[in-house]
Amino acid sequence: MTRSVGIVGGGHTRWGDREATYKDLIQEAGKATFDDVSGVGPGDIEGLFVGSVQPERFAFQTHVAPMVAELLGVAPDSMIARTELACASGQAALRYAWLAIAAGQLDTALVLGVEKMNLPDEHAAEAQSGMTNVMDREFDGVNGLNAPPYFAMVAQRHMHEYGTTREQLAQVSAKNKSHAAHNEFAQFQEEVSVDDVIDSFPLSPPLCLYDCSGITDGAAGLILMSEEKAREVTDEAAWITGSGQACFASNSVNNLPSMSAWPQATTAAEQAYDQAGIDDPVAELDVAEVHDCFSISEIVEYEDLGWVEKGEGGQFVEDGRSALDGDIAVNPRGGLLGCGHPLGATGVSQALEIYNQFRGDVPAERRVPDPETGLIHNLSGSASVHSVMTMARGRP
Amino acid sequence: MSDDRDAVELPDTIELPRLLDFYELQTAEHTGIHEFYERLHEGRLSTTRCSDCGDVQFPPRIVCPECHCDDLEYVDLPREGELFAFSMLRAGAPLGMEDEVPFVTGIVEVGDVRLSARIDGAEYDDLAIGDPVELKVVEIDGPADHERVFYRFEPR
Ligand SMILES: [Zn+2]
Repeated sequence: MTRSVGIVGGGHTRWGDREATYKDLIQEAGKATFDDVSGVGPGDIEGLFVGSVQPERFAFQTHVAPMVAELLGVAPDSMIARTELACASGQAALRYAWLAIAAGQLDTALVLGVEKMNLPDEHAAEAQSGMTNVMDREFDGVNGLNAPPYFAMVAQRHMHEYGTTREQLAQVSAKNKSHAAHNEFAQFQEEVSVDDVIDSFPLSPPLCLYDCSGITDGAAGLILMSEEKAREVTDEAAWITGSGQACFASNSVNNLPSMSAWPQATTAAEQAYDQAGIDDPVAELDVAEVHDCFSISEIVEYEDLGWVEKGEGGQFVEDGRSALDGDIAVNPRGGLLGCGHPLGATGVSQALEIYNQFRGDVPAERRVPDPETGLIHNLSGSASVHSVMTMARGRP
Repeated sequence: MSDDRDAVELPDTIELPRLLDFYELQTAEHTGIHEFYERLHEGRLSTTRCSDCGDVQFPPRIVCPECHCDDLEYVDLPREGELFAFSMLRAGAPLGMEDEVPFVTGIVEVGDVRLSARIDGAEYDDLAIGDPVELKVVEIDGPADHERVFYRFEPR
């Protein structure tokens, strides 16, 4: 194995509460993706990987990968699949596409992530039902444990054990939402202050509304190619240098290793760093898109991705080390907090952001200075699974 | 517009299948862990323990995840526990829970088991990590052909 695989382009829909169907979103993202990569058309796609979590619930549709193929005129003759890994479904699709190309099964793949989550207002509770069965429905969902109260308890435990402050949580949200203010695809394009976060609706204390990502409609796509093929169509790529994942035989509360630490993230990151030859991630990573489904998540991730000692994540943001000009620019796209979180599309959009940062194709207000290396990270469900991928800027 | 078009009649509301109410069907004809629910009917919170390797699980199982033995026995958990973490659901409730918000939900340690549970009889601001809590069993009225129950906790 181990052929080099590169992201050679991608595209995005506008994200938000969209007046668009699931199928509309697929077509918008597909068009944007193929428009971005001259020299690659639908007829070149040998593998199709679709990240989507709950089309059965939100769009009343299953078997969605062939629907994507039909809508975009793609005829994959090697592999076609949908991935479902809750909030990390987009990254899972990307990981499988990478593996298939690296293993020599195919040379050109389309990765498309899509989620239609906003139902008409009177059906909001039905959408929430879809978000409350991500942990064990019988023993956790039944207690109202959807994401906000669950991650609120992670915040509560992290504050209790390590002294993380309410202000530090808000600093994450203010940073990421302020990046999203300069992202034309983002759901929330407004500058937000630390005080705005703390004063927002106390949805699931200690977390407030602005500590939470959104309920979002959106899609994004990527074209992946083997190094040989990539050379034919582009002089700028994001090479995938490492990819790791871990789950510790757990999904429901009793079986998680911790409520304030995610050692699965450490395992996944170590795999990716090892493959990429990264010894000192803080020194060697320039830009990262990490899973800030809630403000607390990003703080735990600074720690468990191996950037700071356990308990020092709050200080990392407070000291500006995750700012655009900090040690690692974290979530310049705007994160899930600013862009929203159309579950299956998030990981795809994160990877596209790393590629766009490499090629300088982002507004100056949120551009990372000359990045050469990047990382994406997603957790899923009760943070029981963590997925990490590293990338390097390349010119094939 | 034509007056002679056939009309397709849909009901104004479509009744939800029972799976959307979050509570599992609890009798022997529906679930392999019916003994857990039978004990809960009697007011006892229990779980499974592997008769081979001794592993105690929660949630209860029919196969031990450690050794894959399928000879599991039910053991009672303590009625009293400690509050490990808690928050609230103030909005964004799923189907069937919209009328219950706001409510406190949390994580309780009972013996060697850590489980999530609704916390009744307390406001969020009155609770603290480490508070003693006690089991209560509630009856679930809803679309099932048998009486269902579930566990919650309340301050002791
Ligand atoms: Zn056993």
